Amino acid sequence: MFETLNDPVDVLTAFTDGKLEPLRFRWRGSVIRIRKVTGRWSRREGQALLRYFSVEGPASDTYELCYDPRGPRWVLNRAWTSGNRE
Amino acid sequence: MILLIDMDSFFASVEQAHHPHLRGRAVIVCGDPSRRGVVTAASYEARPFGVRAGMPLQEAKRLCPDAEYVEGNPDKYVGVSLQLLDLYVQYTPDVEPFSVDEAFVGLGRRAPTLERAIEIARVIQREIDARFGLGASIGVGPNKLIAKMASGVHKPRGLTAFDEAGFCEHFWPLEVQVLWGVGPQLAARMRSLGISTVGDLARAPAALLKGSFGVIGPQLKEAAHGKDDTPLVPYHQGVDAKSIGHEVTLPRDCADRDDLLGTLLRLSDQVARRTRTEGFVARVVALKFRDHRFRTRIRQRALDTHTDDHARIFTVARELFETLWNGEPVRLIGVSVAGLAREATDQTELFASDRRTRALRQALDRVRDRLGEASVVPAGSLGYRRALGHVPFGSVASRSPGAARSKPR
Repeated sequence: MFETLNDPVDVLTAFTDGKLEPLRFRWRGSVIRIRKVTGRWSRREGQALLRYFSVEGPASDTYELCYDPRGPRWVLNRAWTSGNRE
Repeated sequence: MILLIDMDSFFASVEQAHHPHLRGRAVIVCGDPSRRGVVTAASYEARPFGVRAGMPLQEAKRLCPDAEYVEGNPDKYVGVSLQLLDLYVQYTPDVEPFSVDEAFVGLGRRAPTLERAIEIARVIQREIDARFGLGASIGVGPNKLIAKMASGVHKPRGLTAFDEAGFCEHFWPLEVQVLWGVGPQLAARMRSLGISTVGDLARAPAALLKGSFGVIGPQLKEAAHGKDDTPLVPYHQGVDAKSIGHEVTLPRDCADRDDLLGTLLRLSDQVARRTRTEGFVARVVALKFRDHRFRTRIRQRALDTHTDDHARIFTVARELFETLWNGEPVRLIGVSVAGLAREATDQTELFASDRRTRALRQALDRVRDRLGEASVVPAGSLGYRRALGHVPFGSVASRSPGAARSKPR
């Protein structure tokens, strides 16, 4: 099952060609390298445009990250890691 | 030529595409899996177990206990749907979204023949797979009716094309209910007239159909021949909604009047806000509720004048509720408005108090436009929020990133 987290996280981010791309993030004491962005979408909350990313980490763990420009800040919304698989 | 592009098991497929470990596994998209509700979508791997959209989650868990139950995310699906529309308009500006996971694509002179349309459809199908990791079934035909019905012939990842002759050859032997627009009740009435198949309908005397079904009778006969002149309306031209509504399955059967009225108030506020945001006023308010025995009741009432005010919508919804509710536990409750118009043609603001109320609504809308929907809600609905903490497709708290760490209200 997915673990719902909403944890603030530090994310190494590339801004290239007007695009935002998460590269790796620090969570629970580990740095997780993003192998692939598997999906992206956005949602408007008031004037702010929140950008969401589904990403794949090592060992096929997957995560959903949100970039909130109001901080700016990154939030790890959900995770599915080998530790929480059933 | 027209294409109907239908995404296969869209919500579940998006989750499988975004989370590769879900690929090849039975995936069931629902509300909060720890609460009760209904199945929103089931992947193709879950369907052999008998799981279908709309089925109570408890039943799905009994049929398919090992499936992955994933909380749905409407923002994600709408976002991907918009990205798909962006892809389609690279081929033609004539794109008409039919639902969140279906769109008509008019090829016009780009595809004068069925063969050329099939080639383009195949390219789009491959690009959807390459860019999004999603499967689509595409129907190809000379009109929307044939394209729509062809899209359902081979799924998933099917590509089916018919001209009118091919349509008749394929569909005439099938039950009349497969015809787009013919529901169970209409089909039953047709069977009572000896019309069991699409072919029977095509051959039925026009006078009989007109006498039995009125003006739609001749249209049904035309449809059975694969004829349809419904225009494709590109989405940049827009089509006005006919109704706006919200409903929620409660986490547990509820017979508490205050909780139910708080829920109604919240739903009325959501409906009014959407009505204003989309630039409408409404003349009809409808209430829907389903009790613990799965009996569904819907009642509606017309207003004297148009409105976009949540308090007026709530007042009518509450009156309808008081009339219908017999005190038994309620499972689902919903509010909708219809009779939509772009501008009120009636006198809605005779008094200064009306003008003040409108000014207040506009001020509150500006706050929500700037800070988000949850920034201002009717006080009377706060008890409901505390009691449920959950709205369709996610908790109120989770709609604000990082909010899970904030103190409970």
